[in-house]
Amino acid sequence: MNATSMNATLALVQDTFREAFARRIFWGFFGCCSALLLFLMFIMRIDVVQGAIATITIFGRNQQSTDVEALVQQTQSVIAMILYFAGMALSVFASAGLVAAVFEPGRIELLLSKPVSRTHLLLGRYLGNVLVVAANILYLVAGSWIVFGVKTGVWGGGFLVSSLCTIFIFSVLLAVLVLIGVLWDSSAVAIMVTFAIMIITPILAQKATIERLLSSEWSRVVVRVLYYVLPKTSDVSLIIRHLILNQPVESWMPVWSTALFGAVVLGLGLWRFQRRSF
Amino acid sequence: MPEYAIETEGLTKVFRSRFTSRELRAVDDISLRVPVGSTYGLLGPNGAGKTTFVKMLLSCTHQTAGRAMVFGRDARETEGRRPIGYLPENHRFPTYLTGHDMLDFYGALSGVDAAVRRKRIPELLNLVGLDERAHNLRLGKYSKGMLQRVGLAQALIHSPKLLVLDEPGDGVDPVGRKHIRDILQALEQQGVTIFLNSHLLGEVELFCREVAIIQKGKLALSGTVEELTSGSGYRIEGLHVPESLETELRSRARSFTSNNGSLQLLFASRGDANQAIDLLRSNGCEIESLGRTRSTLEEVFMKTVEPQ
Repeated sequence: MNATSMNATLALVQDTFREAFARRIFWGFFGCCSALLLFLMFIMRIDVVQGAIATITIFGRNQQSTDVEALVQQTQSVIAMILYFAGMALSVFASAGLVAAVFEPGRIELLLSKPVSRTHLLLGRYLGNVLVVAANILYLVAGSWIVFGVKTGVWGGGFLVSSLCTIFIFSVLLAVLVLIGVLWDSSAVAIMVTFAIMIITPILAQKATIERLLSSEWSRVVVRVLYYVLPKTSDVSLIIRHLILNQPVESWMPVWSTALFGAVVLGLGLWRFQRRSF
Repeated sequence: MPEYAIETEGLTKVFRSRFTSRELRAVDDISLRVPVGSTYGLLGPNGAGKTTFVKMLLSCTHQTAGRAMVFGRDARETEGRRPIGYLPENHRFPTYLTGHDMLDFYGALSGVDAAVRRKRIPELLNLVGLDERAHNLRLGKYSKGMLQRVGLAQALIHSPKLLVLDEPGDGVDPVGRKHIRDILQALEQQGVTIFLNSHLLGEVELFCREVAIIQKGKLALSGTVEELTSGSGYRIEGLHVPESLETELRSRARSFTSNNGSLQLLFASRGDANQAIDLLRSNGCEIESLGRTRSTLEEVFMKTVEPQ
């Protein structure tokens, strides 16, 4: 990538951040993350006794004494799951507007008139959007990791790695938002489709149970195909949990097949954007 | 150096409905040549296909057939757009940016170095008549006229060789329009090709040397403003014309008006006009004035686009 191209990429990323600031999206996330960090810092007190047993105190009430590492890992996995599902839903909701804004008549023409390829324009916006969400996820995860580390001396890296998985799943869902945005210019439709994927995929993750309940072979095939084709948000959440709890990950198939889905969907979005007349 | 800044050959855009077999030929087989360094106006009624034509030059819209070249390069090439500065019609600049930040953003996309942008942005904002206060004011607070000015500044950020302006005078007061015209005239002196798409026929007539008129997607007329507005008739004003001669001249003229002893006659051909002059002089009449008639661009435009 030459200097001119790099400048254009930086400008597109910076513009996405500016728009996220202006729409209060960034600050909304930042506020929520900061509130959670403050909660961890001041409301929750963890007293480590003899280096292994801890008493957790929330709002001044003592909870059951437990193994400190297990306690920290469990708490971190709860935070990671909240971030993964609730944070993801919020991120998708907030990002849909950022994607659709680019295709507004009067704005897209000016962008396309610049000596920047369409692929570059869309990927620059995509990257900016991922970075807006990633900045907040990393802020919350790294912040809480430091809080837990300082309070308990437990510095396991699984929690930090889990944030990368969350960013990865968001980037896949963002590819869906981009594709729908390019196809229909509608943030509402993009949100609906992405939420549908977020709702359907955990159900499909129970494919063994579903297949037992289905009578016809073709319907079992449909479930199986949908499971393998669509992103595996639920399975990736289990991987995150395993990483935090220092448990071995049995299969990375959910990660790479989800990555493949994201790449194909983003590729389709770019292809359609290339061909579209504005 | 190519001879033409813009060159199109059989440029066509057909919009097809997704669900029915209906199609609309927005631009139909337009071949146009805009010489380097010229000031060229594109005219046409609403829906004639002007904006679609411009969008094809910028590769915003893909042509169905034909080709569009900018300085000898295919307009679809990314690098082919580098010499173009563009101000769109009905633009929606990001309202969260200040005038300064907007120019910085589009300047970066146009490949202008950060150091050059830092120097050039305040100069350009001052050039288009935006004061220091407006530099750091969000575009959401700008008036329509201010947005047009900052839009022009963004089109100039990378010192383009071709300026494509879609309704640049839209929403700008007459003083502002004069100011924009002065800026464009200075750019013309520097050899910048200016391609103007405007409904303001007076503005186009004042500024452009050449024009093309598009009607229903087709090129209806093109040429220099001088050629198109030069009328085909001749006007003679005579004084103290005797009644018998007046009757004869009236029968030969295409039109006439008589007022307080002054007779104004309009002849279709030079021959008729010369004969009338001979008659007037041989009858001892005085000739107050004579000359070739001129049409306004508006008259040419109306004649071209009005249904026969």
